Amino acid sequence: MTQNILPTTTVGSFGKPDYLTKARAQQARGKLGATELEELERKATVEWIRRQEEIGLDVLVDGEMYRGDMVAYFAERLEGFKIGGLVRSYGNRYYHKPVIAGRVSRPKAMTVGWFEYSQSLTSKPVKGMLTGPYTLLDWSYNEAYPTRRDAVLALAEIVRDEARDLERAGAKYIQIDEPAIHARPEEIEIAIEAMGIVTAGLSAKTISHICYGDFAAIYPQVLDLPVDQLDLAMANYGYRWLDLFDRNPFTKELAIGIVDVHAHETETVDVAAEGIRKGLRYVRAENLWPHPDCGLKTRTVDECVEKCVAVVEATKIVRKELAKVPA
Amino acid sequence: MTLKTTVIGAYPKIGEGLDGQELRRALHRRDRGEISDADLDKVYDEVTRSTIGEIEAAGVDVVNDGQIRWDDLLAPFARTWSGVEPGPLERFYDNNTYYRQPVITGPIVTDGRSLVRDFTFARGVAKAQLKAAVPGPLTFATLTSRDDHFGSLEDRVLAAADATAREIRGLKDAGARMVDIEDPAVVASPRHIELAREAYGRLADAAHALALVSYFFPPDAVLESLASFPVAAIAIDVRSRDTTAFERLDAFRDKYVLLGVVDARNTRLETAAEVAGYAERALKLVPLDHLRLAPTTSLEYLPRDIARAKLAVLVEGARLVTGEKVPA
Repeated sequence: MTQNILPTTTVGSFGKPDYLTKARAQQARGKLGATELEELERKATVEWIRRQEEIGLDVLVDGEMYRGDMVAYFAERLEGFKIGGLVRSYGNRYYHKPVIAGRVSRPKAMTVGWFEYSQSLTSKPVKGMLTGPYTLLDWSYNEAYPTRRDAVLALAEIVRDEARDLERAGAKYIQIDEPAIHARPEEIEIAIEAMGIVTAGLSAKTISHICYGDFAAIYPQVLDLPVDQLDLAMANYGYRWLDLFDRNPFTKELAIGIVDVHAHETETVDVAAEGIRKGLRYVRAENLWPHPDCGLKTRTVDECVEKCVAVVEATKIVRKELAKVPA
Repeated sequence: MTLKTTVIGAYPKIGEGLDGQELRRALHRRDRGEISDADLDKVYDEVTRSTIGEIEAAGVDVVNDGQIRWDDLLAPFARTWSGVEPGPLERFYDNNTYYRQPVITGPIVTDGRSLVRDFTFARGVAKAQLKAAVPGPLTFATLTSRDDHFGSLEDRVLAAADATAREIRGLKDAGARMVDIEDPAVVASPRHIELAREAYGRLADAAHALALVSYFFPPDAVLESLASFPVAAIAIDVRSRDTTAFERLDAFRDKYVLLGVVDARNTRLETAAEVAGYAERALKLVPLDHLRLAPTTSLEYLPRDIARAKLAVLVEGARLVTGEKVPA
């Protein structure tokens, strides 16, 4: 476990280097084999582990060089899912939205090999990264289960099994992302029930990332989500979610987004540091984790590095300020 | 007498396979500077033409242009209205689909012709009855990310309504007899229903055949209020969530009801009997000539082949109700 106050981390994905983007396109056209692609994914993973160490991040991620979409990656590896046709997400961006066509099951572990590989490259802790059951359902078509709750609970058992495998493989931090959790605020109880299935009995620190939606609509109920840490986009929202904590105090660890991942420009270190100070009004330094708002996969490698450097340098400034304050 | 069918909102812009993806390729090529905006416009027109043809071929009675040029519901006006700019991306209600939140920078000004060119083109193509569509004022105003001009939500909604009224008049002058006002905020934010009613009062003079189109959420909290809105038709989604609407449809006795019975957000294909079953339930309280069957919302939430299959079953279900022959 990290010993720093204000431990720094990231949300999970990083931009892929050009050679990997090209290789993925070649593989999709049948012009590159799976083994060759995996070699390049491993190379890119090594590069990202090294970069994170050089930048000085405390808790690392594997960067998801081997994933495209955070739901499709799992859907492609689970029985019961089929990969659907192309659907537009915005502008000229399309994705293959998965279809739950039958009872879901997990033939084998889906992320453990990549966790073990990336952890073997560093002495710093690497997070195990999963997509939560509510988001897996909400971002898929459900043709198989009679209700949304039925589907979410079935998926929860699968994510639970994967989380347990990650823990057995040595993961000290397991992140179960639920960016869709506020899609239907009236279903927050289902998401909480499902997360209870996933995290029951885990001794690893559990984290859930939530972004892009109406967080106010699920607060304070979301504090009942059975994880140790909530990981929230804040910079993109001008930190307005912090105002909610005035009325209902925040009771978990908070991973606070202090740089916007959808802007090409990186915030200055001073602006990022101010974000941390805002968070400190509500959460103690040992429970506050500075990081970017969201996964950085839409940014270039250089932009990702700049954003992470801003997070680490801003944190150093605030740590120094805290060291000067008498206890 | 037949039970008529219609569509709502946007149709998938691309299909499976290379042939169906000309618009996607053209947008990439325009971004790389390989083709001009005029070349891209031709592709937009061709895809609009084939979309209208596809909706007509399914046997739908009242068609639209599929909104092929719209990036999202608010984009046509966020792009053209003075005083409004497209802002940050956000998820569109409970969908994993994004829209640009409008940013209000000054008074809203429009010449009312934002959609006239597209409607005129579609009118030249469509053989079936054609309707136009505009984003609703409550949705436009409540999904704004920042407002540097208006002092209140009320002022913003009413200003959006005045600008929308000008757009509807522009469409009417271009020959539009029916206009859908897509306004999911009316059911998503029922607390603003009285403000919405005031806004619709400003639209009422602009055209006679306006439809208030709601979706994603059931109308339960506002159903009787909607019945007194100054519009000719109300569209409601009876599939996305549980609803008591079927037992209360008599509230709409002087209106047309566009009943969203085919789920446009799930690939599971309804049977014709299922579609007919929803219609039969509605027909207990709505006369046949005042009922229209529709998808719940834009079919763009589905892959194109599924959207096509959904339209086929919509028409088949409607024909089943009246014993009409299904078109081959």
